[in-house]
Amino acid sequence: MVAIVGPSGSGKSTLLNLIGGLDRPSEGEITLDGEKLGNLPDDQLTRVRRDKIGFIFQFFNLLASLSAAENVALPLHLRGWSRGKVRDRAEELLELVGLSQRAEHLPEELSGGERQRVAIARALSVYPPVLLADEPTGNLDSVNGAGILALLHDLHQRLGTTILIVTHDVTVAEGCQRIVTLRDGSIIEDRRL
Amino acid sequence: MRMLALLTWPYVRKHRLRSLLTLAGIVIGVAVFVGMHTANRNVGSAFARTVDRIAGKAQLQVSAGETGFPEETLEKVQSLREVGAAAPVIEAVLNTGREGQGNLLVLGVDMTGDRSLREYDLEDEDVIDDPLIFLAQPDSMIVSKQFAGRNGIERGGKLKLETMEGEKEFTVRGIMKAEGLAQAFGGNLAVMDIYAAQLVFGRGRMFDRIDIGLAEGVSVEECRKKLEALLGPGFQVETPSTRSGHFEAVSRALGITINITSLFALLIGVFIIYNSFSIAITERRSEIGILRALGASRGRVLGMFLGESLAAGLVGSSIGIWLGLLLGGAMTPVLGTMVQEVYGAPQAGEGSEAQWWLIAAALGIGMLASVAGGILPARAAARVDPVKALQKGQFQVIAAGENRMRRLVAFAMWAVALACLMGEGVTFYAGYLLMVTGVILLTPALAGWLARALRPALRWLRPVEGALAADSLIQAPRRTSATVAALMLSLALAVGFAGITRATYGSLLRWMNDTLNPDLFVWPTESITSRTFRFPASVEKELSEIEGIEEVQGVRNARVLIGGLPAMAISVSIEISSRRVPVMAVEGDPKEMLPLAAAGKGVIIADNLSRLRGLHKGDMLELDTPSGRTRLPILGVTVDYSDQQGAFLIDRSLYRKLWRDETLNGCRVYLKPGASEEKVKAEIVKRLGSHRRLFIFTNEAIREYILNITNQWFGLTYVQVAVALLVAVLGIVNTLTVSITDRRRELAILQAVGGLRRQVRHTIWLEAAAIGFIGLVLGLAVGAVTLYYNLEMLKRDAIGLLLPFEYPYGFAAALLPVILLVSFVAALWPGEAAVRASLVESLEYE
Repeated sequence: MVAIVGPSGSGKSTLLNLIGGLDRPSEGEITLDGEKLGNLPDDQLTRVRRDKIGFIFQFFNLLASLSAAENVALPLHLRGWSRGKVRDRAEELLELVGLSQRAEHLPEELSGGERQRVAIARALSVYPPVLLADEPTGNLDSVNGAGILALLHDLHQRLGTTILIVTHDVTVAEGCQRIVTLRDGSIIEDRRL
Repeated sequence: MRMLALLTWPYVRKHRLRSLLTLAGIVIGVAVFVGMHTANRNVGSAFARTVDRIAGKAQLQVSAGETGFPEETLEKVQSLREVGAAAPVIEAVLNTGREGQGNLLVLGVDMTGDRSLREYDLEDEDVIDDPLIFLAQPDSMIVSKQFAGRNGIERGGKLKLETMEGEKEFTVRGIMKAEGLAQAFGGNLAVMDIYAAQLVFGRGRMFDRIDIGLAEGVSVEECRKKLEALLGPGFQVETPSTRSGHFEAVSRALGITINITSLFALLIGVFIIYNSFSIAITERRSEIGILRALGASRGRVLGMFLGESLAAGLVGSSIGIWLGLLLGGAMTPVLGTMVQEVYGAPQAGEGSEAQWWLIAAALGIGMLASVAGGILPARAAARVDPVKALQKGQFQVIAAGENRMRRLVAFAMWAVALACLMGEGVTFYAGYLLMVTGVILLTPALAGWLARALRPALRWLRPVEGALAADSLIQAPRRTSATVAALMLSLALAVGFAGITRATYGSLLRWMNDTLNPDLFVWPTESITSRTFRFPASVEKELSEIEGIEEVQGVRNARVLIGGLPAMAISVSIEISSRRVPVMAVEGDPKEMLPLAAAGKGVIIADNLSRLRGLHKGDMLELDTPSGRTRLPILGVTVDYSDQQGAFLIDRSLYRKLWRDETLNGCRVYLKPGASEEKVKAEIVKRLGSHRRLFIFTNEAIREYILNITNQWFGLTYVQVAVALLVAVLGIVNTLTVSITDRRRELAILQAVGGLRRQVRHTIWLEAAAIGFIGLVLGLAVGAVTLYYNLEMLKRDAIGLLLPFEYPYGFAAALLPVILLVSFVAALWPGEAAVRASLVESLEYE
């Protein structure tokens, strides 16, 4: 687990967006599994995102009209999986994040912590090797924030997923094995705990 | 104002295309309103101007409908002390046969007395100084400078025209200056001697009209009363301005069509404004939040957005007025020709003319429509919660779902509308308005229900894209409802007109198959509706002597006034009709009514006349004829599509007696069994063609002609429908733009979690298809209601025709692919906009 920290405007989220292929670098290179992301055509970049990266956002970014299970199933449908396979995987993921009993609820019927759990389950849909989390606890109270952090640690240990967390929260950063500090777009410190 | 300049102008400049789309809503609505009214007004005022210019100094005009009256009437009129000058007139419109020159209005006048009423201001030497020279040469003609200029005619030049005596050469003895009288009928005016005109147009010893100048010190009213008392009820004594008012009476059905179309176009415009302002408010939510946080009151925000809609209304209406005037100018000749074909009202367009009242009304209506469309979004803007608007990640749905109150109001409106079905006139039509308003109010709910019903199908089609498309519609039905309503209204209008076309075609074909059975029609005019030239009665006999002809039925159609309103008198030998033409009786038994009518014991009226005037079998039809007021019993009512104002069948013998009119509009010819149509036609031309102007139409050609006129009529309405569909396309583009703006983050999430560009495009396309489909379903349903009311309107108030309700299923089925295609095309640009938006910005949006 890697924490990316730094003051506002230091480029944390930009770095995360570049790694995740949401944005393209104006200079320099991003290489994922030996593949240079900057040169990939749009649809190929999307495929990389779909297969190798899971996103967790500060504001959850769930689709309000879809139930928890449907939100989790969304990337699987996009991959063209069969309905049965999608259903089974969605159930499995919701169980993994401890929300099996809330599968049919809409996001507005869930608490902040629960919404973020759904978002994590969605990010894990195909068990990607990398999870990118942008301030995953930034919009939660301390209890829910701690719960989400515990869940991320648990997943990291159980699944072996690489997790990159952009955070302002020192507690979150200190729970990671490596802390990268940015200032004005440059790495000023790279610490392994 | 300062706020508008500060905040609105930069937004408009940033979103130029969208701002244009917003304006397009008002522009098209106002342009249709102005264009249709301008064209109608141009045609009407051209007619009025012609009447006015021809009238000259005449203060009163004496006429007897279209039938004309015997020459002796002039002496009677001149004998009256109150009459200062009386000049007889024959007025006829004939085709010049010259390409691009259209029709020529020929005025037959008596030069000896006419100059006291009309000024013939000639270009050079005044030939009319000696009217006797003009009279002595019956081939003399004077023409307007405009007509002479357009045709390269000089004084002393020759002009060939078709007359009752075949083609005849006239000598142009003078050219009128391009002012006053010469400007009548768009400048296509010629004047000739009245007695020559009687011969040329087959009027016999009849005049069409007498123009009157009052004696000194006599009032118009005084003279009018004296003349009416002297001449009896068969004559109309009117001022020229009253006469021009008749045009409005005959073009009533057209006026109603124009008003309905304009209303629909404007309503659709309102929905487009609503849509566009909803987009603006969605996009400018954070700006509104900042304004509120900085101390702007709700009222100020409301005022700012209402100011924007007023400004949009002002700009859009101004462009719409300009476009409308152009459109009106372009439509005037088309409409003029149609009015002349259908109603026989002679007129010639004189270019487009701006009417200040229309411009003011259009400006007012355009701005009102714009404010009506902008008021709900402006209210929503005023309700923006500054905290939520400024808080990242917080989304306040402004265009939320529909509410229960509105549903209740809609149902109440429907209940009242149902009750209004029992009513008449305004009450009945108010019912339609309530019915449509109810549907509009319920559109968000109906669109939501239909979207829910569509969801499984869309999901089945594309699990993610389909579900997202349906959910987008279900989530914010008010976002879609404006477009759905616009589409629904335009399609309802289309279905209504298609239904009428179908019913009219069906009924006309049935009527033509059953009753239009003569083999040939011999007419002195190039169309059977024109009544410019007439045959003398002798033509009937001349034709019947031709080998191969079994029977000839002379026809005299004349527009007469019944209770001050025009109707068509069809005078034929009813004895022949009873043998030849099956009667489709609505009231009365044909076996009883026909012998009585043939014996001149009464008249048979058309079902539309019956409905329009509330006349039935057994009632008395009061007719003012040159012989005085006559009351004739109505012997029966039959199905008859001869005239939009209603017709009645009267035996020729009775007509001749009452109207003292021996002339014929044409002859229906029945051939002997086995006779060759071609040989008979050739023989008719050989015997009569050398000394008479005549046209021979086959049965088939007449059917084609009637259907052609009907097609022209409906062609115009389809132009309106096309405009309405165009407006609907704009609506879909607008809605999808709002939808994409609203769902910017949702679409970005879709891409962030692995959605390919094509999958995002599919979502937008499916949403567009769903909007189109929902609009279509509702449009087809409201179209059925519109068709019902259209048919009732035709029956009750316009032309009195009872047309069957036949839903245009074929047309409806054809609309499905058209609408889906239009929706797809409308979704292309928004779809691209959605996939090309920056993912990072979109994910941070809100």
